[in-house]
Amino acid sequence: MSEAPGGVSSSTAVVSGDVVDLLREQHARIRDLFAEVEAADGEARRDSFRRLVRFLAVHETAEELVVRPLSRRYVDAGDAVAADRVEEERIAKEKLAELEELTTDHEDFLPKLAVVRTAVLQHARAEERYELSKLRRADATDELEAAARALRAAESLAPTHPHPGVESTTANVMTGPVLALVDRVRDVVRDAPGRHPS
Amino acid sequence: MTFNPLTESGIPLDRQARSWRELAVIPLDPDRGDPYTKCRVITMNGIEVESVLFSHQFARFCPEPEVKRQLAEVRAIEQQQQKAVNWLLPGTASVLETTIEYEQVAVDLTAWVARSEPNPYLKQAYEFGLLEDFDHLYRYANLYEMIEHRAAEKVVDQLTEVMPGRPTHLHHRHPADNVRDPYDRHTTDPISKLHALTIMSAEQQTMNFYMNVGPEYMEPIARQLYQEIALIEEEHVTHYESLVDPGETWFERLVTHEYNECYLYHSFLEQESDPRVKAIWELHLAMELEHLRLAAEVLRRHEGRDPEEIVGPHLPPVVRFEPNKTLIRELLATQIDLTTLGAGYVRDAHERFQRWQTQFLGDTPPPSEQVITEHVNQYGTDYRSQSEGEHPVPQLATPGTR
Repeated sequence: MSEAPGGVSSSTAVVSGDVVDLLREQHARIRDLFAEVEAADGEARRDSFRRLVRFLAVHETAEELVVRPLSRRYVDAGDAVAADRVEEERIAKEKLAELEELTTDHEDFLPKLAVVRTAVLQHARAEERYELSKLRRADATDELEAAARALRAAESLAPTHPHPGVESTTANVMTGPVLALVDRVRDVVRDAPGRHPS
Repeated sequence: MTFNPLTESGIPLDRQARSWRELAVIPLDPDRGDPYTKCRVITMNGIEVESVLFSHQFARFCPEPEVKRQLAEVRAIEQQQQKAVNWLLPGTASVLETTIEYEQVAVDLTAWVARSEPNPYLKQAYEFGLLEDFDHLYRYANLYEMIEHRAAEKVVDQLTEVMPGRPTHLHHRHPADNVRDPYDRHTTDPISKLHALTIMSAEQQTMNFYMNVGPEYMEPIARQLYQEIALIEEEHVTHYESLVDPGETWFERLVTHEYNECYLYHSFLEQESDPRVKAIWELHLAMELEHLRLAAEVLRRHEGRDPEEIVGPHLPPVVRFEPNKTLIRELLATQIDLTTLGAGYVRDAHERFQRWQTQFLGDTPPPSEQVITEHVNQYGTDYRSQSEGEHPVPQLATPGTR
C-alpha cells in the first residue's frame, strides 16, 4: 500500500488500544487486502488472495471465540445482536467459499470478489455500529484487555504481508489448509493469558 | 449551438413524480470509483436541500395561492431529487469518511469557483474560505486515522492534498466580521450569482450535516471536533450568503435557483464517469429544465421581466471537479495569515478578533489542536498527504507550531 509523505500508513502504525480499536484496525486492513487482490495480476494476485483468505479466517474465528461471548454477556439483547452478526458471517463465508472454487485468473473472479467484499464490509460496519460501540460501554475493562491480547496472538498467525521470520516459525500453518489455521487460532485464543475458560 | 437551459424543453411536471421503488437507488461503492463522483453527489445534495428550503421560505412569504401551489408541486419533486441523489451515499461508509468527502467538496468546488470568479472582491471571499475548509480536512483526516485506523488518502485518493491550512482555532471570528458586502444584482456578471448560490448551498449543507451527526460519536475528541467545526461552518454560511444582493426579489431568486440547478446538472453530466450516476444527472437535468420554465413564467407574469435579465443569455463554462493543488499551495503561501475586519480582510489580530478568540478558546487548546496532539502521541507525527512536496509555509512543515 502507498504511504502518505510525512504521514503514517494505517497498516504499519503501532496502535496500543483496546479490543474495539484493534478490531477497527483489522477491518481497515481487510479493506486494504481486498484492494491489493484487485490491483494484482497473475501469481501476485494468487498470493495476495491467499493472504486475504487467511487473514479473514483468523479474524472471523477470533471474533467468534472472543467477541461474540462478550456481546452475549455484556450487550443488552446480546444474544440477538450476536446472532445477527453470526448470520452476516455465515453469508460472507458462503460467498467466500463460492469464490474459492474459482482460480484467481477466472473471468468471474473479480465480480465475485466484489460480492464478497461488500458482504464482509457490511458485516464489519454492522459490528462496529451495533456491537463494538456497546461493548465499549460495558464495565468489563479486564475482559476487553484480555480479548485484545487473544486477538493479537491470533493475528500473528496470518501476516498480511510476507514476513520471513514469522513465516518460518509458522510455516506449516501458513501453507497448510485454512482449516488447520482455524484450529491453530482456537488453540492460541484458548491459551491467551487472562482468558476465562469457556 | 451551446446548451441553453432557457430554450431547451424538459419533462412535463405531471410526469416527474417517481414511486418509492424508483427512488430506492443502489448506493455507490465506498472503496471504488472516482472520489469526485461522491463529491458531485454531495454537491447536488446540498443544492437540492437549498432548493427545498428556499421554496419553503418563499411559500411562507407568498400571498398568491396559485404561486404557492406551483411551489408545492415543484418542491415535492425536488424532495424526490434530493432523496435519489443523497441515497447514492453508501451505508457501509462511515460518517467520518463522508465528512472527509464533504471537506473535499468544500476544497475543490470552492477552488474551482475561486478560479472562475471574475469579480476580485468575490474571488477573495472564496479564496479566504477555501483555506479554512482545507484545514478542516486536515483535522478530520487526523481524527479518522486515530479512530478508524485508516489513511484519509484512501478516501480522497491523492486528488486533494491533506496538510494544515489556516489553523482552525483562528477561524473563530467575531460574528460581525463574517458579513461581507454583496454584489450588485444590476451590474454583476451573472456567473457571480451562480457561484455565490452554489458555495452558500454547499456550506449550508455541511453546517447542517455536522450539527446533526456530531453528537452521534462516542469519542469525546470526535464530539468536540465536530462541534467546533460546525460553528465555523455557520460562519461560512454567513460569509457566503452576505455576498448575494439582498435586493433580489423572491421571483428573481427562484429563477436563479432553478437556472443554477440546470447549470450544475448539465456540468456534472458532462464530467461524470459512473454511468448509473450519469443517468441520474441526465434525468434530473430534464426535470430542472421544466422547473426553470415554470419559474420563468411566474417571473414574466408577476414582474414583467425576462429571465435573461437575471441569469444572462448564455450558460457559463461548465463546473468541473479537478485537482487544485497548485492554487491551494499559492494561497497557503500568500493568504494564510488573513482574517476579516468589517467587510474586508486584514492581517492584524485586531481587538474584536482577539476578544472573540479569548472568549471562545480560553486558555486551553481547542479540539482542533487536541486532535493533532493526540495523533502525534499515538503515531509519532500528524497525518498528512502531501503529494507535491513540503508544506509551502515553513512554520507548518511540522506539527505543533501553535
